[in-house]
Amino acid sequence: MTDDENTLDRLFQNYRAACPEIEPGALFMPRLWQRIEARQGFAPVFEHLTRLFASAAAAVCLLLLVLNLVSTPQNSLAGESYTDALVAQNNAEQTYYSEATLITPPSVRSAAAVHH
Amino acid sequence: MLVEQELIEKARTGDAAAFNQVVLAYRRRILATISRLIGRPEDVEDVAQEVFVRLYYSLDQLRTAEVFEPWLYRLTINASYDYLRRIKRRRESRMADLSEQQVLAADSLAGGKQQRDETEKSRVREFMNALFQHVSEQDRLLLTLKEVEGLSLKELEGIYGIKENALKVRLFRARQRVLKAYQTALANGKL
Repeated sequence: MTDDENTLDRLFQNYRAACPEIEPGALFMPRLWQRIEARQGFAPVFEHLTRLFASAAAAVCLLLLVLNLVSTPQNSLAGESYTDALVAQNNAEQTYYSEATLITPPSVRSAAAVHH
Repeated sequence: MLVEQELIEKARTGDAAAFNQVVLAYRRRILATISRLIGRPEDVEDVAQEVFVRLYYSLDQLRTAEVFEPWLYRLTINASYDYLRRIKRRRESRMADLSEQQVLAADSLAGGKQQRDETEKSRVREFMNALFQHVSEQDRLLLTLKEVEGLSLKELEGIYGIKENALKVRLFRARQRVLKAYQTALANGKL
């Protein structure tokens, strides 16, 4: 241990000696009970307000939940997977192709056959 | 324990007379501890009352009467910590901020031996308060409990719920910082 550390230890001891032993005043207990009662008076008001706020928050949450459920469109696409989307797109293309084939006039089709 | 466990159990159930007795038994010890923790005699009683108010409102959370004393210490440390943070914010102009010449002038003004003793004690307290400015409030309290209050590492472990080795490391670092501040004060001739 260095000299400085010894000095620091002495300083701590001196500090202990320099801190007076405080005698509790005559009004210590009455003041303590006053403070306890003052906080007791405030506690129920705070508790009431907290409960009120918690109830209001719960009601708002419930309302938002209901609104959310009601307003959500019943769209089957919402839960669609990537492969489902691909299949749907493929079907749409096939339909378009077959429709295009069907609406080709018969004269055009026979001309194309002769050409081949 | 300064009181019987039954008395603490009674106080836990809301018996005001039992609580009163517990306060009467412990108030001197708590006042002495706070006096060393905060180093400002004028505010000790106020902080002690805050400790007992917190005790009153949290006594029902105490698991068993056996752990009452470490728990009361914890409340004392927390209230002292809150106080130290509050006064740090206020940044009052105190003796510690004055130059050495001003302190010496204040000394010379003091008459009589008793008054001189009191001035010297005040000077020691303020000097230590100035050194403690170099560590956090938590470390100041920990250091004071160990070095000034004389608590063992085992007792501190019970109060803080931290492993002994971790406490040793924190104490070592805090001590080093205070030591460095002391050496700086020494080099600047503030002693």
